[in-house]
Amino acid sequence: MQRSMLQGVIVNLVTWTLVLLIAFPLLWMIITSVKPQTELFRIPPTWFPETITFEHYWRLLTETPFLTYFRNSVVLATTTTIFVVALGTLGAYSLVRFKYRGRETLAMLVLFTYLLPSVVLIIPLYLMMVAIGLSNTLVSLILAHTTFALPYALWLLRSFMEGVPEDLESAALVDGASRMGAFRDIILPQLLPGIISTALFTFILSWNEYLYALVLVNSDSVAPLTTGVMSMLISAFNIEWSLLMAASVMMSLPLIVVFAFLQSYLTSGFGAGGVKG
Amino acid sequence: MIATQTITPRLERSYARLGVLLIAPTILVFSLVIVYPLLAAIYLSVFSIYTPTLEGNFVGAANYVKLLTGKAFWNSLGVTLIWTVGTLTLQIVFGVGMALLLHQNIWFRSLARSLVLFPYFLSTVVAVLVWRWLFNDLYGAMNHGLMQLGILDLPLDWLGSMPNAMIGVILVGAWKYFPFVVIAVLARLQTIPEHLYEAAKIDGAGPIARFWDVTLPQLRNVLVVIVLLRAIWDFKEFDLIYLLTGGGPVTSTQTLSLLVYQEAFGLNQMGQAAAYSVGMMLVMLVFMVVYIRKTGKEG
Amino acid sequence: MHSKPFKTPALPRRTVLAGLAAAGATAAMPMRLRAQEQITLRWWSPQSSPEQLAAYQTQIANFEAQHENIKVVFEKTSDEGYAPQLAAAFASGDVPNVVTHLPSFAVATYWTNGLLEPFNGVIDMIGPDKFYQGANDIYEIDPGQYAGTGIGNSAANMIWLRTDLMEQAGIDQNPRTWDELLSAVQKMQGGGIYGAPLPYGRNSMTSLVFIGVIHQAGGQVCAPDLSVNIDTDATRDALEFYRAMREFCPPGATNYSWGESLTAFVSGACATGLYTGRVLTNVANQNPSIADHITCDLYPTKSTDVAPWTFNDFPSVFIPKQAPNMEASKQFAAFLFDPEGYIQQLHAAPGHVLPVLKTISNDPDYQDNEIIQKYSAEVELMSEAAANGFNLGWESRDHMPNAKAGEIVNSGVIAELVQRVVLNDENVDQVLGETTARIEEIMAS
Repeated sequence: MQRSMLQGVIVNLVTWTLVLLIAFPLLWMIITSVKPQTELFRIPPTWFPETITFEHYWRLLTETPFLTYFRNSVVLATTTTIFVVALGTLGAYSLVRFKYRGRETLAMLVLFTYLLPSVVLIIPLYLMMVAIGLSNTLVSLILAHTTFALPYALWLLRSFMEGVPEDLESAALVDGASRMGAFRDIILPQLLPGIISTALFTFILSWNEYLYALVLVNSDSVAPLTTGVMSMLISAFNIEWSLLMAASVMMSLPLIVVFAFLQSYLTSGFGAGGVKG
Repeated sequence: MIATQTITPRLERSYARLGVLLIAPTILVFSLVIVYPLLAAIYLSVFSIYTPTLEGNFVGAANYVKLLTGKAFWNSLGVTLIWTVGTLTLQIVFGVGMALLLHQNIWFRSLARSLVLFPYFLSTVVAVLVWRWLFNDLYGAMNHGLMQLGILDLPLDWLGSMPNAMIGVILVGAWKYFPFVVIAVLARLQTIPEHLYEAAKIDGAGPIARFWDVTLPQLRNVLVVIVLLRAIWDFKEFDLIYLLTGGGPVTSTQTLSLLVYQEAFGLNQMGQAAAYSVGMMLVMLVFMVVYIRKTGKEG
Repeated sequence: MHSKPFKTPALPRRTVLAGLAAAGATAAMPMRLRAQEQITLRWWSPQSSPEQLAAYQTQIANFEAQHENIKVVFEKTSDEGYAPQLAAAFASGDVPNVVTHLPSFAVATYWTNGLLEPFNGVIDMIGPDKFYQGANDIYEIDPGQYAGTGIGNSAANMIWLRTDLMEQAGIDQNPRTWDELLSAVQKMQGGGIYGAPLPYGRNSMTSLVFIGVIHQAGGQVCAPDLSVNIDTDATRDALEFYRAMREFCPPGATNYSWGESLTAFVSGACATGLYTGRVLTNVANQNPSIADHITCDLYPTKSTDVAPWTFNDFPSVFIPKQAPNMEASKQFAAFLFDPEGYIQQLHAAPGHVLPVLKTISNDPDYQDNEIIQKYSAEVELMSEAAANGFNLGWESRDHMPNAKAGEIVNSGVIAELVQRVVLNDENVDQVLGETTARIEEIMAS
């Protein structure tokens, strides 16, 4: 009995040491963000700030377009997610539960598009955006983000869809429901954890994207956080580390809060479908 | 698929139509934003094109000849493979290990899980910035901490010289993406029936034997998929490496994605860049087909 | 689509993807016509510190007050990002109206590809006689036609010195030669302070700085007729010097670019620095304790026989040829030199961007600035050095403008030369041979 207690304590200590090591960069980010400029470049660095200041946060919010970038990122990631998950759910339903010619080929093509590197698509994509009058808009970024988000979402949703028992749907059809009726009443509720999980992954991908944002949009009014913050604070004449770290904290905190709540969906969603190849 | 015997041919045709209808929007978007740019890229690859003007001449296979005979592509391919294998291995080992620990009944489990998953949520840009700040030669916590612990005598140059730069990139990549493995493995662990462990215990298997005999076989399928997904993403990775080292020192961390970018926008040779990227896709395709064949047969 | 390009062995220029670009132009056309009453001009610049942004806003507001139907939008780009962004813009025809602060060699590249509007009209509006003598020569790539003009000068490779540390080390004179510099940094290094923050990274700063060092050894990258001439003893000497300096640079210098290098001097971590007058503002903001102990000089050369060579990236202004509302664009470009706004823009980082108009240098409003007054000798020296400065696009007065300079710098070939020889200890002769071949390939492309 005592042995297993001891074992438990050791497991706890090992786990928490690792967890703290992994989270150390987050901690250091927070510490740096509240150090005054003059303390930042102290050699050797101070482990705990001697003076705590929130001036960097204040400057970011009042003197820079940070909030504009933030709004753009939220709009961008949310719209991409809704768009991609909606298309992906219908597409996955079709791929898994319907029979028609070319279905298998389509499924293979989806996997193939997943291989395409962003660098390849940028210039043709940009030319297309200009041709349809969308250059330098959030819409162009949303469309660009579907290039990597849609194959991924479709692929995840397909495996979740395979995890939904077929007989439930059959029973509903025998009872006289239409296919779309069965989809709405039977499949969707069963698929919900998978949809949430896919939505989270899509959101993260879109929120993090850098390269397309760098090339496709320029003006501050539509730049997302990734490129906006980088070009605002890193330049040839200065790297504003304290502002960068404050910006990093503010870019991350909302996500952490959201995911702390949805964390169980993330894992249970994966489990329910069981990611299949 | 659905209770076939009860479905009349007419219903079957209408189902097929509905199925096509449902996938149609996806196909439309795919053709617009993926297929068309892809064809354009392949088309570009047989021209010699100056990026800002998009003017140039038809050069046939010249770009591909340069790809095959020049050093750049093969050098970058080697770098890409080292990076992919290195970071992927760490991600899997770390990820599975951490998932096993977090599956235990530890204190504040949900907080621990959130903290571990957090690197994956961070923007690559933020992750890179934090690490560059940690690795900073003069004011960085990494060097200072290791010096205080007596592990280092002098500050170490983490990202500017080899092999440190490659190790640094691989480590940051592993740190950033291992939570993905944790998420998937943790989910699978929760579905392993408890009675399998009970049975193994009765047979006298210790914790290590239980891991090899019960846990790992159950994780096999999910790992096969994770390795495929992560390998593709790592192979394509641009942001993380570009922002951390820019491909340096010299070209020691210049992966294929960076090579394509450099050729297209540094040297303004869009045609050559397109040829490199076609080569890159072919390499990935070959790896993927081999992988799917192999794992498919064993399973 | 395209008319079966695969059958014709050599396509005429200007046809590849021209269809795409044309489609882009026509699609955008109706919107622009409709917007005739209310014009929007787009202004791009990679220089966008908060102070500079504030100055730009003043300039925009003043301009908009004079032209009620015009709205100006500032869009920032970056030193690393402008190449892909402008490439995409030019390729699509959806270009900004005015672009400022790009290095002159980028302007030369775009000009020789027929992408820019001749700038003569704008220079006439500003007043050609207000410029310093010869200030626009670098933009006269085709005789009689200007591709752009300078919005400022910069002396980017000044050596910055800590007078207090020099005094402690018993150095009574600014180093003039490499030997003096090496001995000085050796004396000043220690106690957590490094000698110099020279860049050894795979980036444009390393390329640009090392091009300067080659010239400081009496060498050149290209001969005046633009044949590649980097495989010389002077380059070998430059590499030798750069290698000798390595042990006096912080360990992370292998990844340094402008920002890190600047901060290393400003924070007090390095006894010498290499930068423009931006140092002055940053010291005032970040480390005022050394403000009374800094000065600058021309970067030392191999020997007193070799004249100093100042790297001036000649921050530019230009107008893309495809820009809509050309007349308004030109008016706005000229308005950027209107004293009130221009002086505020220069004051955003005193000593960093130096005026190209002599009428401004002598303007009491320009002189009326704390930092410019406190460091008047330094600012004077930098102005003079910058006015006699060069860059790879124009290596000396005898050189023809090199339109491939941007590609040479962006290809990283020179930074790689430094890294391979200094960091990897590869054979100098072989590396220089390969470097020559690669630069020749770029020049020929």
